[in-house]
Amino acid sequence: MRFGFSRLILLLLFPLISLTGCEQPQVDFVFSKKTNELIPAAAKPVKEALVRQFGNPFELTQFEGLPTNFGDVEGTVKTVEAPSGEEKLIRLQVEGLQDAYNKLQGLPLEWTSGKGQGQISRIKEYNYETGTIAVEKTAEIDPQPGDTFLVECTRLQFGRDLYNRHCMHCHGMSGEGTGPTSRYLNPPPRDFRLGIYKYTSTKPTAKAQKADLERTVKEGIAGTYMPSFKLLTDDEVAAITNYVIWLSMRGETEKKLVDELFFDYSKEVVAERTSEDGGEKPEEIQEELKEYMELDFPDTLEFATSSVADAWEEANMEDAIVVPGTPRVPDTPESRERGRKLYLSDKTKCATCHGPQGRGNGTATQDFWTNPVTNKKYPNRGLHDIWGNQLPPRDLHRGIYRGGRRPIDVYRRMYSGIKGTPMPAFGGPLSDEELWDLVNYVMSLPYSKN
Amino acid sequence: MGKGWCLFFLFWPVAAVVSCAMAPMVGWSFPYDNAQAASNLGIRIDGLFYLILIVTAIVFVGTQAVLVYALWRGVNNREERATHIHGNHKLELIWSIIPGVILLFLALYQMNIWADFRIKKFYPEVAVKDPIAEVTARQFEWRFRYPAIGKKLQPKPQPDDLYTVNELHVPFGRPVMIQLRSDDVQHSFFLPALRIKQDALPGLQIPVWFEANKEGVYDLVCAELCGWGHYKMKAHVIVESEEDYQNYLKNLTQQQFYDGLGKIAANENDSESEATEK
Repeated sequence: MRFGFSRLILLLLFPLISLTGCEQPQVDFVFSKKTNELIPAAAKPVKEALVRQFGNPFELTQFEGLPTNFGDVEGTVKTVEAPSGEEKLIRLQVEGLQDAYNKLQGLPLEWTSGKGQGQISRIKEYNYETGTIAVEKTAEIDPQPGDTFLVECTRLQFGRDLYNRHCMHCHGMSGEGTGPTSRYLNPPPRDFRLGIYKYTSTKPTAKAQKADLERTVKEGIAGTYMPSFKLLTDDEVAAITNYVIWLSMRGETEKKLVDELFFDYSKEVVAERTSEDGGEKPEEIQEELKEYMELDFPDTLEFATSSVADAWEEANMEDAIVVPGTPRVPDTPESRERGRKLYLSDKTKCATCHGPQGRGNGTATQDFWTNPVTNKKYPNRGLHDIWGNQLPPRDLHRGIYRGGRRPIDVYRRMYSGIKGTPMPAFGGPLSDEELWDLVNYVMSLPYSKN
Repeated sequence: MGKGWCLFFLFWPVAAVVSCAMAPMVGWSFPYDNAQAASNLGIRIDGLFYLILIVTAIVFVGTQAVLVYALWRGVNNREERATHIHGNHKLELIWSIIPGVILLFLALYQMNIWADFRIKKFYPEVAVKDPIAEVTARQFEWRFRYPAIGKKLQPKPQPDDLYTVNELHVPFGRPVMIQLRSDDVQHSFFLPALRIKQDALPGLQIPVWFEANKEGVYDLVCAELCGWGHYKMKAHVIVESEEDYQNYLKNLTQQQFYDGLGKIAANENDSESEATEK
């Protein structure tokens, strides 16, 4: 059979058609929806501040004061290759970076001696084999053999590369939870930018400990699409966690800044203010905003970052962790019975959500709930989490424990609640013994006949 | 052009033989320890593979040699014209019966190995009596459920069962059996070093037995394209002495029933800090 011209065209088109499904993931840190809803004059300084303090995925930035292991490495210039007139880069042979991470391109380099002392250059090229780096030529720096420098963010970069390989396709480049595969997952991947993590070992108001996140990475989350990454080394897991927390701090800083501006300078509010009813002139608002940016914004920024940093630091203190006052009450039929009564009592109201039999079908799942963020009713019945997803209360008979199946894990779920969800903290209202009775009851449910 | 085709067809059998001969040197052959399987059953399966390789190699090289000879003769002999024939009954019989006999031989020859690997009646009794764990394949990880120390694995979860993920410890020196399940789609329990491969099907519990002939850490991968994270679905099977295995179970029990107080073995990620802080 002759192979006609039209078929040839079809054949050639085929690879093209198959390529259309391959989308490139987002390769920049994205800004939140709320930031983009600000008027440009308000959004711009927020975005600039974030880029200044956190950089972008290709050029990370060290921002002092965050509880992050940035990973500074000291180096010394060995020789400087004579730059030709046209060349925009200076190439240097350096030593001291051999033990550092082998991909340093895009990282900031701070000169600690020589003419450029105190100046920061970006590493434009790095060759691990030959030990040469290239930085941009500027008037302020003139590296000479013997000059010393610090390469910053090597640890962060290591974490970023691992994150991009293992986590990004679900959790997204900036931890916003909208990676390319996220649309196929239920429950959806976590948006890290609120800095809230569900399964922690810490007190109700505290953030997650590093160890909690490391545990989640290693063990995965049963019953969700978060798989276990146990085959990564401890060092790799720690680097990923370090980076994820840094992404969280970036997102939280952004949120705090935007929250300050949103009620006065969102596009919607400004439209209202300049409408006939509002009676303000756009120039007045611009002037007011300019004044705010000059006088108050630097303080707001400093407060935002330092409060976020403090919160993360506090979570890793020893006293942030929930440690029961008494050992687990022996798992006897009597203890389970006490737990059952508590479960059904008005004191805990467990049955309202989890249902009288623990099937996850309590009356609360039939109500229309109010979104605490927007103060509007959700469009569908049932409970929702802080990320806006509908959240059925757990069916306690399934024996799937997302936050871990150790008694201490279940105890902590009850003591601190599940952060970001309507599951409340019972650490205050219930005594340790009562909590253990409840733990015993709940953990017996998967094996009960009801 | 004619001679070019002769060379073309000559090239392939030569390339095949050379690449087979080179395979062990450049790491193209079976995984693990100089291509030696890490289980006795695996060594027998490799034997089968080599047998089939030799048979097919002889057939391939033989037919190619005949083809090259025929081409070569045709190219060099312009006078003799080709004749059209309607087949040769005798020839048809020969080239049907010979492969048939070879296939029958292979089918009979491999039956014992197949039976030992797959037919429950021939499973080692010690393994069947006491399956060590239930293995649940799930997008994209392996979850394991062991019975409590001194108890037998039950089909349904028990309150004192032990759970882990992506790290299966098994004792050395005896055949072990696992019950294989899948939570979602089709996966495949593949231990390349031991030459063990079994599909996991949702809704079925499939027994799989294996016995490593050396202690060590072996890769467990998924051999069924199960989704976008398929390549990540890796775990380790750790074959260790009976004593180490029992210690591991004890340690796992301690970790699993940890109530946040007191000391536990300090090799679990975050319990180390918790244990030392009290």
